[in-house]
Amino acid sequence: MNCKFVPSVCSYCGTGCGVLFEVIDGKINATLPLKSHPVNQGKLCIKGWNLHEYINSFMRLKGPLVKEAGRFQKATWDEAVNHAAKNFNRIKADHGPDSIGVLVSAKVTNEENYLAQKLARAAIRTNNVDHCARL
Amino acid sequence: MDITRQVEQLLKQGRVDIFLGYKELYGHLIPHGYTLDNLEELENLKVSQHRYSLEKVATHLVEKKPDLKIGIIARDCNQRALNILYTWNQLNPENIETLGVNCCPSKTRKHGDCSYLEPKKTGEFKKENGIDFNAEPEAFMAEFDNPERFSHWMYEFNKCIKCYGCRNVCPVCFCPECSLENPDLVEPGSLPPEVPIFHLIRATHMAGRCVDCGLCEDACPAEIPLRFLYRQMNQIVGDVFGYAPGEGIEKSPFTIIGDKVTLEPKPMDV
Repeated sequence: MNCKFVPSVCSYCGTGCGVLFEVIDGKINATLPLKSHPVNQGKLCIKGWNLHEYINSFMRLKGPLVKEAGRFQKATWDEAVNHAAKNFNRIKADHGPDSIGVLVSAKVTNEENYLAQKLARAAIRTNNVDHCARL
Repeated sequence: MDITRQVEQLLKQGRVDIFLGYKELYGHLIPHGYTLDNLEELENLKVSQHRYSLEKVATHLVEKKPDLKIGIIARDCNQRALNILYTWNQLNPENIETLGVNCCPSKTRKHGDCSYLEPKKTGEFKKENGIDFNAEPEAFMAEFDNPERFSHWMYEFNKCIKCYGCRNVCPVCFCPECSLENPDLVEPGSLPPEVPIFHLIRATHMAGRCVDCGLCEDACPAEIPLRFLYRQMNQIVGDVFGYAPGEGIEKSPFTIIGDKVTLEPKPMDV
């Protein structure tokens, strides 16, 4: 029997509350607020308290899926990325770059958000970059 | 003998399979389960200023493996909560070893239990419209009449964001089915929750159970004075039954319920 606690940051919104995962035998069993975290000071909202539920959910997507003939099929990352790139190129060629928009997220890091806007501006060549909080 | 050696001895003698203490990680003091497999980690064993409900973790461990022997670093509040868990058959006292440590540092008492914790600060607006964390119940009762007290409590309850943190963090909340999740009692999805019923359901369930550890008040993002509420609740329990929850492992007066049901079960009106 092995029991450890892993500090992390809540992945639900941009506030960045500190959470503590209670891990029993390698499986996350519960979520607790991290008491010494300066952001949430030992408090959490209902989503944070239930953070472990989606990690253990059987509905959780664990790999890429590509829609073929109206149904999602399991695919490798290479296949999925190639499929997306091919179709983005097709849309860009047919309708122009501004027909594509990129939504970034409060859940990801600054650096990842930077990369997302770089993809939008430099690769897709559109200024349609917005944030999920403005949806 | 210092605490690290004591824990080492407990583990090596096989008196405990796992010891729940604290360790420091990235500058945060967090709970950790020490076992024989990671004995070298034991040098990091710490006593934390931050309180986590280790006895609740113990109940989670026992759920997975009922005969697990568990050691716990225990303050007075942990010990009181453990007594409640023994009383309600959630943990077997024969499988639990505790190592007593000093209570949370407090200015009011060098070695105080949680009821003597350094009082929380209360803002002026809260003092005027809500309830002072440190209010004396008698003074509060004397200062305001019934409707005034009601409006003060309603001010507090209306702030609730229904995070269920008070229940989730509570060491003596162990029911597999919680009344707060019963759609007949608490409507799911509405915010603020139905006040004051939401808080009063929890308060009645704390009767004979609440050990006044203060974890719920610490975890409440809306700063509702929950200890005040539950203390008042248990004042009644003390007056009627002469029972102080957590002080011993004698049978709780509330265990009478369940021995014999005298009421006919009937469906609730929808």
